[in-house]
Amino acid sequence: MHSASPSLDSLRRTAPLILTPLLFALGFVAMWGAAVEVLKTPEYIVPAPWDLPRAVPSDIADHVWVTAQEVLLGFLVANALAFCIAVLFVQSRIIERGVYPLAIALKTTPIVAIAPLLVLWFGTGLLSKVVAAALISFFPMLVNTIRGLRAAEPEAHELFTALRASRRQRFLRLQMPTALPFVFAALKISASLAVVGAIVGEFVGAKAGLGFLILQSSYNFETAQLFVAIIGAAMLGILLFAVVSLAERALCRWERVAV
Amino acid sequence: MSALTQARPCQSDQVVGQPDEVLVAARAVGHRFEGADEEILRAVDVDVRRGEVVALLGPSGCGKTTLLRLLAGLLESTDGEVHRAPAASPAGFMFQRSVLLPWRSAMANVMLPRELHRTAGPEAERRARELFEILGLAGAEQRRTHELSGGMQQRVALARALIEQPRLLYLDEPFSALDEITREELNLELLRVLRTTDLQGVVIVTHSLEEAAFLADRVLVMRGSPGEVVDEVEVELPQPRTLEIKETKEFTSCTVHLRRSIRFGAQPR
Repeated sequence: MHSASPSLDSLRRTAPLILTPLLFALGFVAMWGAAVEVLKTPEYIVPAPWDLPRAVPSDIADHVWVTAQEVLLGFLVANALAFCIAVLFVQSRIIERGVYPLAIALKTTPIVAIAPLLVLWFGTGLLSKVVAAALISFFPMLVNTIRGLRAAEPEAHELFTALRASRRQRFLRLQMPTALPFVFAALKISASLAVVGAIVGEFVGAKAGLGFLILQSSYNFETAQLFVAIIGAAMLGILLFAVVSLAERALCRWERVAV
Repeated sequence: MSALTQARPCQSDQVVGQPDEVLVAARAVGHRFEGADEEILRAVDVDVRRGEVVALLGPSGCGKTTLLRLLAGLLESTDGEVHRAPAASPAGFMFQRSVLLPWRSAMANVMLPRELHRTAGPEAERRARELFEILGLAGAEQRRTHELSGGMQQRVALARALIEQPRLLYLDEPFSALDEITREELNLELLRVLRTTDLQGVVIVTHSLEEAAFLADRVLVMRGSPGEVVDEVEVELPQPRTLEIKETKEFTSCTVHLRRSIRFGAQPR
């Protein structure tokens, strides 16, 4: 249905969606500040919110950039690869039978356990973190894409059979569009997981990055700076999630059920 | 399978057959699904003749949908033979659910068969717009399908079934998910479409006595497991049919006959 002024209308609908959580966040920060004031907590345990701006290190941009690169590269490589493998899986039962158990084994192995090996193999630079981020982002996309490519209802497949559609036509016109919401669900999950992978990679061995900053701050009891690094890592994940959500809104207009 | 079944769509009017010409013939057709012992259908004979609406009527699980699929060639029978005359193609299909692709507009859904067969073009679009007009869908061309009511969705599905100017229409309980009133509307719509297009025949699966009597020229009553055709009823109601027909004695006696056939097998005329 079209109203007279669609832009105003949509603003009226989306404004509460943004304002409500923002107000709650502000309320939380206020309570945090009040608690620190009242309880007189020392700064090295819990700094007050207004202590944080002072604690932002001058080279924060470099740290953010290093981690952002790791996250983004790992995220992109893993998802592209997982998507392609899922497409292969759906075509061939043999490949699926062979690789699926390995993928599950990979998923159940904690990334923290693998990270030291990655640093040993790929060094303390960019590559080991990209691989860590990729490893942890890989599985959601693999599983979701397989599920999505198989999610078309039997009746829809029957329609394509009745219309004598080729395999390619069936894939492009039925299975792919059906899988798209699943793909985006996976992208949203791995948007936050990729940050975990990169940070864990940095914990094991790094010369820069938010994970490196977190460890450094922790060793030196620079708790305010530690908070800054944590918030920075969270923001990275949120930003990536937001970008994925926007892309989803643009590409999956029919699917409004998904979160 | 004979060469008949492999025939490609025939677009012209070159096949001017006799009025009694058989478009699809099933002989002693039986079916069991792969790996299952259970017989779904046994020794069924069906003729679909030119200009006819044939209803397959029966309770759930009597194999009527399987029979429809065998007639349409969506399924290969495990016993017996099905012959399809060249004049029986192209065929259109409609299922119980509309099976519209939600990422496409109503128009794009209707154009899907043309797109798959690479026959989309200005002519196809003109045809599609015509169908939107005929089926009361004008104005809904660019609507997303989930914005449409159930009845409208089935109309879009019907338009999609008609976009390739089929000779034969196979309908598998197409209106059973709709409310009674919408269903009656669509039944009328279907009869109107039948008169105004070059459709040569319709095979419709239904479990509604009324729908069978109202739409069909001939009703094949099915029951049992494995399913068999237990009765064949010619519906001698005047054409074109209107909803008022449902209030006549003839209509009632027809549905009474059908009900008894379903329950007790073939009934004397």
